[in-house]
Amino acid sequence: MTHQFNYKRIYHFIRRDLTIRQSGMRTALIVVSAIAFVFFLINLREDYHITVGEFVNVFGLFYIPLGVLFTFSICKESHDPKANHLYFVLPVSVYERMAAIWFTTTILYTIVFSVLSFIVGQLAIVAGGIVFGTDFHVLPMLSGEYLGFAMFYCIVQPVFLVGALAFKKNRIGKTLLVFVLVFFGVIIYNMILFTMLNYRYDVHLGDAFASEAFGLAQNDFSVIGILFFVGILGPLMLFVGYCKMLEKEV
Amino acid sequence: MIKIENIKFYYPKGKTILNDVSLNFDSGNIYGLFGRNGEGKSTLMKIIAGLLFPKGGSCQVFGEHISRKHIRCLQEIFLIPEDFELAALPVSKFEEVNSVFYPQFSKEQFYELIKEFHLSPNENIATLSFGQKKKVLIAFGIATNTKLLLMDEPTNGLDIPSKSQFRKIIARIADQGKCIVIATHQVRDLHSLINHLMILDHSKVVFDKSLFEVSEHLWFGKPLEKDKYDIIYAEPSLGGKGVLPRLDKDETDVDLELLFNAVLNEPDSINQVLKKRYHDTSI
Repeated sequence: MTHQFNYKRIYHFIRRDLTIRQSGMRTALIVVSAIAFVFFLINLREDYHITVGEFVNVFGLFYIPLGVLFTFSICKESHDPKANHLYFVLPVSVYERMAAIWFTTTILYTIVFSVLSFIVGQLAIVAGGIVFGTDFHVLPMLSGEYLGFAMFYCIVQPVFLVGALAFKKNRIGKTLLVFVLVFFGVIIYNMILFTMLNYRYDVHLGDAFASEAFGLAQNDFSVIGILFFVGILGPLMLFVGYCKMLEKEV
Repeated sequence: MIKIENIKFYYPKGKTILNDVSLNFDSGNIYGLFGRNGEGKSTLMKIIAGLLFPKGGSCQVFGEHISRKHIRCLQEIFLIPEDFELAALPVSKFEEVNSVFYPQFSKEQFYELIKEFHLSPNENIATLSFGQKKKVLIAFGIATNTKLLLMDEPTNGLDIPSKSQFRKIIARIADQGKCIVIATHQVRDLHSLINHLMILDHSKVVFDKSLFEVSEHLWFGKPLEKDKYDIIYAEPSLGGKGVLPRLDKDETDVDLELLFNAVLNEPDSINQVLKKRYHDTSI
């Protein structure tokens, strides 16, 4: 029996996706590299050095927005009424499709974009040495801030992946709208819960004491919050994406 | 090979496209799926390919429910849709990135067909006309060597020489034990190609017979004066040609266009004649 999950097929599917989009990806990376190069040069002019924070600032400016756009671009074929017949008729299981899309848009993208940022930054340092006489130094890439950015993207990206699969039109706008609505929903829920639990004690929203309580609550539950964010949100969204892909019709 | 039982399908807020449709498709046949525009031919093809899920009934392909999208099933199905867009890649690159998913794919066959269609492997698909893109997809679909090949309006966009070329190619691969289903409303394009005819009308299957049965029981041609009471359907615009029960007349070529019009106008009479067995023991 043919297996529903085959690494070779995932590799071929990733290769197919990248080959089809190679021209668009190349253009996007060249444009981003050029802008990042200028930003790195501007940073070099100030103190002749690119610090960890400066590198992460430039990296983060493009890393997440470009990753989100890349995710929407990868999923575009599944919504195109002229192209999705051939996309869905391909003998690739839903598990394999999801694994390939996730791997391409998170792991592969992060590696490629990080290496590219490093190379562009290093080139900027060399160029800075020629133009401004900056000392040559190796870009401090692997820092806690950089890893935090990469981790945040890996956790949030499945949310955009679900949006990219679920919405047919105005996909980015609708996904952001849902994101904002959920965010406000959580805030309102918190406020209602706070009022219900504290009105007997004469602690109201807006009181200095209330804001202190909010802060304390945040501290107390931060571990659970992080666990939820890291351990549950990503996999949960990937599962929702899998279900969306499973029920997709042309 | 394909077993469709009591399928129902409708689009949200739309009319019923397929209502209680049951059909069987076997290997070694070329099926012509005919019907007027909007009668559900493409929808049925998409259901068979697992691209749409029926609202009722079941569709089994190679013994599996196609909606479960088992790899074993998908590796044996290829669909050539009516309207499509291919990635802007050279023909050879298109073959390279897509052929790896089909275990029986033959590169030699693909490039032979590309040559036969007067195309070059180095040409970029983006620069080709719709008809040429269709030829690339037809060549690819044939070269996949899947057991089931679904073609939705394959001759749309092809010029006249390419249509006859298409017929020759399909006739060549027909005896390889494949099941080929061709959905079209351009009945003439499939002349002498199909061996089984299915016609959809008003969301139902109104005709499902092999052409052998048709030629056994029906007679096509210009009826004589003495036959005028036997005429099931006649069309003055086709030179007075008509469809009659064959009885003891000589066998004639099946006129697909005439048969199609006859079935749409007189489905009950045609099916009734085909139920009788004139050349057998019972009448």
